[in-house]
Amino acid sequence: MKLLDIFTFSGHLHPLIVHLPIGFILLATLFNLLSYAKRFSYLKQAVPITLLAGFMAAVLACIFGYLLSLKGDYDTDALSKHKLSGISLAAIAGLLYFTTTKFFLKEIPLPRPLFSLLLTGLVVLMSYSGHQGASLTHGSDYLTMQVLLHQERMKPSRVEDALLFEDVIQPILQNKCVQCHRDGKSKGDLSLETLEDILKGGKSGPAIVPGKPDSSELIRRILLDEDHKDFMPADGKPPLTKNELQLIQLWATEGKADSSLIAQYLGIDITENIISVSVSVDTSLLDNLRKTGFQVRLMQLQPLMLDVTLPAGSGVKAALIKPVIHPLAKHIVWLNLSGNDFTNDDLDFLPALINLEKLRLDKNPVTDKISDQLMELKHLEAVNLNETNITAAAIDQLKKNTAIKRVYSWNNKGLP
Amino acid sequence: MCDHHKETFRINTPDFNKLNKQLGRRDFLTKTSMGIGALALSSLLGNKLFSNATTEEEILKAIPHFAPKAKRVVYLFMAGGPSQFETFDYKPVLEKLRGQNLPDSVRNGQRLTGMSSGQALLPVVPSAFKFNQHGESRTWISELLPYTAKVVDELCIIRSIHSEAINHDPAITFLQTGNQLPGRPSIGSWLSYGLGSDNENLPTFIVLVSKDASKDQPLYARLWGNGFLPSEYQGVQFRSGKDPVLFLNNPEGYDGADRKEMLEYLSKLNQLQNNTYGDPEIDARIAQYEMAFRMQTSVPDVIDVKDEPDEIFDLYGPGSRDSGTYAANCLLARKLLEKDVKFVQLYHQGWDHHGSLPAGMPKQCLSIDQATGALITDLKRRGLLEDTLVIWGGEFGRTVYSQGKLTPADYGRDHHPRCFTMWMAGAGVKPGISFGETDDFSYNIVKDPVHVHDFQATLLHLMGIDHERLTYKFQGRRFRLTDVEGKVVKDILTNA
Repeated sequence: MKLLDIFTFSGHLHPLIVHLPIGFILLATLFNLLSYAKRFSYLKQAVPITLLAGFMAAVLACIFGYLLSLKGDYDTDALSKHKLSGISLAAIAGLLYFTTTKFFLKEIPLPRPLFSLLLTGLVVLMSYSGHQGASLTHGSDYLTMQVLLHQERMKPSRVEDALLFEDVIQPILQNKCVQCHRDGKSKGDLSLETLEDILKGGKSGPAIVPGKPDSSELIRRILLDEDHKDFMPADGKPPLTKNELQLIQLWATEGKADSSLIAQYLGIDITENIISVSVSVDTSLLDNLRKTGFQVRLMQLQPLMLDVTLPAGSGVKAALIKPVIHPLAKHIVWLNLSGNDFTNDDLDFLPALINLEKLRLDKNPVTDKISDQLMELKHLEAVNLNETNITAAAIDQLKKNTAIKRVYSWNNKGLP
Repeated sequence: MCDHHKETFRINTPDFNKLNKQLGRRDFLTKTSMGIGALALSSLLGNKLFSNATTEEEILKAIPHFAPKAKRVVYLFMAGGPSQFETFDYKPVLEKLRGQNLPDSVRNGQRLTGMSSGQALLPVVPSAFKFNQHGESRTWISELLPYTAKVVDELCIIRSIHSEAINHDPAITFLQTGNQLPGRPSIGSWLSYGLGSDNENLPTFIVLVSKDASKDQPLYARLWGNGFLPSEYQGVQFRSGKDPVLFLNNPEGYDGADRKEMLEYLSKLNQLQNNTYGDPEIDARIAQYEMAFRMQTSVPDVIDVKDEPDEIFDLYGPGSRDSGTYAANCLLARKLLEKDVKFVQLYHQGWDHHGSLPAGMPKQCLSIDQATGALITDLKRRGLLEDTLVIWGGEFGRTVYSQGKLTPADYGRDHHPRCFTMWMAGAGVKPGISFGETDDFSYNIVKDPVHVHDFQATLLHLMGIDHERLTYKFQGRRFRLTDVEGKVVKDILTNA
């Protein structure tokens, strides 16, 4: 069936060709209306040839459009409207052209205002047909008041507000699948627009069986080899990335294909564990840190995590560092103040660093009392107190903060 | 001295400008092509030059790709290909098979080097050395590595590394740069390029070559070269001697007071060239002069070990007092890591035991064992192992069969790229585990293979870099360390 392949190919040209009659007929109408004005009267002569071009392009568009309609799973109602209006458009354009030929002018001369009226009517018909066509490709809600008045769900600014389906899975499907699988153009009778549609499924059964990725048709198909005939997205459309595949699988298995909060699904106690910092930060705050003498390393962007080091022997006074550290307190995850002559009192800002994971205070004259300031830090994993003035009592106290996994206390005078 | 430097820029005279305007055809083409290049570059940099976005924001957009586990790396490179049979891959079964020909079912037609492919027999040879279990993990380790065995609970031993190259030069180049052919940037250069420096007074990437090793296989500067990256990202090799960096001290009778001024003037000259020709190598040159100036104060401080207590020298072993030895380099590496140098690479040659392995291997292990164990111990107690990644390994392993004649007292082993052992320790890797398994002949991998590119991807991952995203466009193609391969070995990473 070699011929059919050429048909399919030509059918795919329809969206391209269809713009030609639009342009020509609009141009013919424009010339016709302008020619009423004296200074553009010469344009009258250009109307017939432009209209002829519009007619021929419309015929071509009809043929290609028909070939395309043979293949696509389009909404039959919208399709028949589009087909009918398209063919009428071509026919009327042809007829109007013939009224401008010599033969017609001689036999049945059409009054000029009537011709102009009909031509303008043609543009209206064309708009209708075009709208129907656009609905077929982009969905019937593509150009409606609903879209204009539609309100987007606010993008969550914090991880704990994010919904698993709406904020993670749906955008992926929107991007890669919904162009073909939606109301009005549901290939394989499948729509992937809403959670219900997905669970309802299409010709081959439900797209996702919650908790059972192996019997989920959608997952089977996106995981196939790209050459396989069942592979989705079909027709060489951009495939899902590795990350997207993993997310969908996770959602269908662990999340049982629901739309709960990400935090719930991960089993995280929101108030306790998620680092609640804003996504962005004023970069001038980082510059302030640097100007004070700190080395600042960006560990992660979202949420912003910082590794901050004051080089040993910097001579920077505690009074100077507090105001630059404070505004970034939540963002500092690693802090290194090794070898800077700080005492317990100098470090009274430590409890504000609620997301601190690693702290180096080695080679500073801190004493046992320093452990008081570290008791409330829920994420602190490692504390370096080498070569300080602490004794075993400080270590005993630090053990009470169960988050702390490692305390370094090498080379302390007070310790064995 | 140098008073004339204070006058305004001498070269900025009408004569010079006139000279500069008399462009020849070549100059015109150079300049215009550079101009086009500059435009292209600026679009690549997200219009950094022309937009208001600060550098900070640019960095924020690019790297790191996720929170890194490690802040710095020390890579102990055992050049020559240490035998896995005499170190970490315990194969007791081989004792029964001593002297038997390697079964074809094991070799499976795999290629051999020209050095042993002509042998009529490929006699299987077990290790001449005993193995014992160590640590809580009860890991089998050869008696040749007693100090390493003491810190085994810190190590993540990977027994299933495999490479594509079968000879030294391509193999070591592959491991260091991700390609068997020279010309690509080394791991350290990629890291400095991607992550920048944490201590601007010291180079980001420092190379130490131990002087107490037999130089059987050569090392090439390109192993720590920058390839096509700007040359400021190349590794800086410290000399193995009393003076790791030459000419840091002022010559006799010169107090160095006006050196800064001289360098500023030089920098202006270079800047002028840069404005004219726009060659990024000029930027690199300026950066290197500035680094050299800062190193004059920072390096003497960091290489000075006279304040280290005797206990430290005892820990690292007798060689540690003799600068340039492996032990002294390990100590120096620790000092550099303490100063947040991002990537320190030590090379120790002499692991190419084609013959007389029972005599050569103990000497070789002796020269590195104590200091290696000491480095782990020292980093750990200082709290540095927390965010430092330590890597040990060579470019390939050795064959199970003897190269040359197998006698009761002597044997040799040929190159074997299909499986060998490396270990990692420290930040982000699971301590006290062994990963991957080889068959009874340590000839093929039977479980969890780790390709060289996987190892490289994992290393970059630990430093916060997605190996697929750290790329550099050169000659029309985007290059990366792992070429088109590499998977992060997630199973050896700590979870949190």
